[in-house]
Amino acid sequence: MRLGISWDTDRFDDATTGWQEIVSEAVQADQLGFHSVWVSEGRERAADVSAPSILLTYLARRTNNLQLRITGRRVTRALPVHIAEEVAVLDTFSRGRAGIAFARASAQGVPPEHVHEMIDFVTAAFASDELRYRGHYIRFPAHTPDDAPQGASVPDSEGPYVAQWDWGPETPDFLAITPKPYLPHTPVAVEIDDDETLDWAARNGISPVVAAEMPTEEALDRLARYRRTADAAGRGRREVEAVLERRIAMDGGSDAHTLGGSPRDILNAIRDLRGRTGISHFVWRRNGAAPMDLYRFASEIEMLLQA
Amino acid sequence: MEFWTTSIGVAKMRPIPGALGDGYDKFVNDAAEAEALGFDGYGSGEHHFMYDEFMPIPLQAMAAVAAKTSKLRLSTNAMLLPLYDPMEAAEIAATLDVLSNGRVSLGLGMGYRPYEFDGFGTRKTTRGARLREAMEVLRLATSQDSFSYHGKHYQYENERLQPRSIQRPIDLWFCGGTSLQGARRAGAAGLGYWLANSPFDHTENIVKEYRKAGEDAGFAASDLRIASFKDVCIGNTMAEAEGLRQMLMDSFYDEHILGYGYLVDENGKNLYNPAKDHPLYRRFVSSLYCGTVETVIEELKRYEALGMEMIFLPSQQRELIAKEILPEFRK
Repeated sequence: MRLGISWDTDRFDDATTGWQEIVSEAVQADQLGFHSVWVSEGRERAADVSAPSILLTYLARRTNNLQLRITGRRVTRALPVHIAEEVAVLDTFSRGRAGIAFARASAQGVPPEHVHEMIDFVTAAFASDELRYRGHYIRFPAHTPDDAPQGASVPDSEGPYVAQWDWGPETPDFLAITPKPYLPHTPVAVEIDDDETLDWAARNGISPVVAAEMPTEEALDRLARYRRTADAAGRGRREVEAVLERRIAMDGGSDAHTLGGSPRDILNAIRDLRGRTGISHFVWRRNGAAPMDLYRFASEIEMLLQA
Repeated sequence: MEFWTTSIGVAKMRPIPGALGDGYDKFVNDAAEAEALGFDGYGSGEHHFMYDEFMPIPLQAMAAVAAKTSKLRLSTNAMLLPLYDPMEAAEIAATLDVLSNGRVSLGLGMGYRPYEFDGFGTRKTTRGARLREAMEVLRLATSQDSFSYHGKHYQYENERLQPRSIQRPIDLWFCGGTSLQGARRAGAAGLGYWLANSPFDHTENIVKEYRKAGEDAGFAASDLRIASFKDVCIGNTMAEAEGLRQMLMDSFYDEHILGYGYLVDENGKNLYNPAKDHPLYRRFVSSLYCGTVETVIEELKRYEALGMEMIFLPSQQRELIAKEILPEFRK
């Protein structure tokens, strides 16, 4: 199982001190053998990160091993091309360690289809050379006609070669979004809080994420439903990684969002969740844990999960 | 006068093939080296959909640089602001400003490549107005806790920028090319003006027009800041310097200057693949100043005397410049 960390930002007074702590913990996690860090997009609190790709690209140069995951990514402010580009640039600065998870539609005040279309666009941008896109929310390039195939399409013939510097003032019908990530299938995930997105993600092989805000029992139901829908659609289990984020209270109590107890209690709780849902990536949402807890997790939980 | 610089690496170069990941490493390592050599700033340009995978989000490149430096100003040269939602740009800039402890300087340009505008769904004819409006939004967002703005292209009501930038406001520059019209517009709006590469006489004219327009609009001299890109090619002889210039033209500039409409005639019309004897192309080539160490120092002193706050030098000969040129301006 892959193990990562993320952060509650409401305990930080300001971005400067909060982000210094995030960077410090990420560097420590990198050295301790954690697999990933997840930085969520937010704007409500003083230490929220409105541009996760910037913080993660900074971390790309301070870490060597961690997967660097943008999470809670919204479709409402950033332009679609920028989202595809920021993942690829992060991936190149980190030598193939980038990934992105999109926020639930309800958190953004948009229809689920808008989120689905954005995911379809960025995954096509990663995997294609030149492309065009005709959707309800996205049209790329802008002059793509109404009779273009719906969704992403690529040129159906090579045609005569024209070097880009000879294009002149005309824009071709297909453009390549560059750079590209190291792999055409960079990890892409989405929060599956709403049924439309859960069903769409399951049928289309997009990894599911359940964030710490959702109570554990409800999270298990969502992941189970995802699995049933994916199975019915003929999608293989190894195509995706199911991601569950929880808080952890080392030597503390459990609640609807938190796994608590001794390290062995927490280990067994994670194993139980894995057995019931098939999750392959567990993310610890840190909310003020003691500095030694990362070390304790790495030595007393993470390594035993693999044993 | 400050000295800023850059490096190749965040784009591939067709005559010198290499891996983009290695180029990104070089860009960051060269930044650390530039800081150690005494340069004051470092930057990245921006282009999209390029065959050479040119950096599309320069502030992201500078985030990587921020992790490995502590003093350099982190600049964009230029960030193509009409291709962003202004608050998206503000958030990216403020995030880096916090991470770098207040070192961000935004060189902001209009853009000129038609396919970039088409790729983002922005009409190229609106770029000037969008740039002016978006710069005002950036200034408001990074100087006020909450702001409202009602422009033709952008509207915000009680908007708040998260995070709060360290710089209040963030350092903003209008990268205006070398047109007199652009200079007058920048001056009339009181924007810091960052000129493109240009022969000195033309630079002097632009600065004069910029300052006059600014003073006529009621701005104090201290509001009217100027900076310039300045490619220099240094050799022991003129022939050696000109050889270096030709290498730059052959390896990078020709593909970027001749195609894409970079050169603009006196009517504001973009030229696509003009002949190499076109006066505008020849003026661009001559703007890459060739000389010895002594004549380059002399030339840069002229810019300093004009009141240039910063000169942006190219990546080649960085060590030579640091050793022979910078000390003359630190005395």
